[in-house]
Amino acid sequence: MVSEGLNNNSPSWASILGVVAIMLGVFLTAVHSNEAMKQMVIVEHMPVSGIMPEADCPEDELEEEGISVAECEYLIDHVKGIAMSAPDWFPSAQATLSLVGAALAFVSIIIGGALVNYTPWASKAAVAVFTGLAAIDLLQFAAVVNTGPTLREVYLGGILLWFVLHLMLLVGAVAGRHTEASA
Amino acid sequence: MQRQGFNRTAVILHWLLAVSIFFLFISSWWMMGLPLPSPELQFRAFPFQLHKNIGITLVIIIFMLLYVRLRHRPAPVDSTLMTPSMNALSILVHVLIYGLVLAVCVTGYMSSAHTRWDTVWWWSIEFPRIAAPDEEMNEFWGELHTYVAWALLGIVAVHVSGAIYHAFRNDGIVRRMMRW
Repeated sequence: MVSEGLNNNSPSWASILGVVAIMLGVFLTAVHSNEAMKQMVIVEHMPVSGIMPEADCPEDELEEEGISVAECEYLIDHVKGIAMSAPDWFPSAQATLSLVGAALAFVSIIIGGALVNYTPWASKAAVAVFTGLAAIDLLQFAAVVNTGPTLREVYLGGILLWFVLHLMLLVGAVAGRHTEASA
Repeated sequence: MQRQGFNRTAVILHWLLAVSIFFLFISSWWMMGLPLPSPELQFRAFPFQLHKNIGITLVIIIFMLLYVRLRHRPAPVDSTLMTPSMNALSILVHVLIYGLVLAVCVTGYMSSAHTRWDTVWWWSIEFPRIAAPDEEMNEFWGELHTYVAWALLGIVAVHVSGAIYHAFRNDGIVRRMMRW
C-alpha cells in the first residue's frame, strides 16, 4: 500500500524550473563558498610586506603535481598578481557577497524542490530568491568592474553567465506566476 | 505502508552530499593552483585540511544515507513510467555513485596518510597515523584519487541528466527526492 505524499499535479513549467533551479543552486552554492574561501585564504596568507618569497619547488613535489619548475614559480606570481590587483576593499566585499550568494543559492535548492512539488508559496518565493541571486551577480559585477584588468579577466565572464542564468530563472518564475493567475 | 517518495532525512542527506561533492571538485581545482607549501607560504594549509574534513564527513553521510534508504524504502517506481532497461540503468548509476564516492574518499585519505601532513578532522579530532610518509605511495593513491574523482563526475553527469529528463517529462520521479 502506498501512502499519499507527492503532488502529482504540478504543471510542467514548475517541474522544469524547479529542477533547473536545484541543479544550478547546488553548483552555485559550491562556487560562491569556494569564492569566499579564496578571498579569506589569499588575504590571510599574503606576506605583510607584500613581497613574496622565492618559490620552493622540490623535484619530488613537482613530479607529484605534474608541473614544471616554471609553472611552480608561476603559481606564486599568479597568487601575487591576484592579490596585488585587488583594491583594499575588494576581498572583504567579494567574500561578503559570496557568502550571501552561497546562502541564497542554498535556499534556491529548497525553493526548487518546492517548485517541483508545486507548493502554494513556491513561485512567489522563487521570484524573491532569483531576484536576490541576480542582484548578487550585479553587485559582484559592479565590484569587479571597479578593480583592474586582471580581476576583470578572471571574474567578469563567469559573473555575466550566472546573471543571465538567474535572469532566465527569474523570468521563468514570473511567467509561471502569470500562468497561475490566468488559470 | 510505503511512501511514494524518499524519507525526508534521505532527501536532506542527498542534497547535502550533492553540494559537498561539487564544493570539493571546485575547491580542489582552485587549491591545486596555489603555491606549493613552504615555511613562508601556507596558502594550501586551510583548503587542503577543509578538503579532508569534508571528504571524511562524506563517508559518514553516505553510510547514513544508505542506512536511511534501506530502512525506509520508498514504493517502487510505477512500471509505466520507466522501462526495465531505464530502471536497471538507474540502479546501476546509483550503485556506482555510492561506490565511487566511497572510493574517492578512501583513496584521498590513503594519499593524505602517506604525506608528512597529519589529519585533524575539523581541526579537533586527530586521526592516528596509519602509514609513514612515502612519496611513491602518496603519488599512487593521489593519482587513483584523481581518476576515481573524474569517473564520479562522469556518473554524476549521467545521474543529473536522468533527473532533468524526468523533470521535462514531468512524470513525478524527481519529486521522490524533493520532499521538504
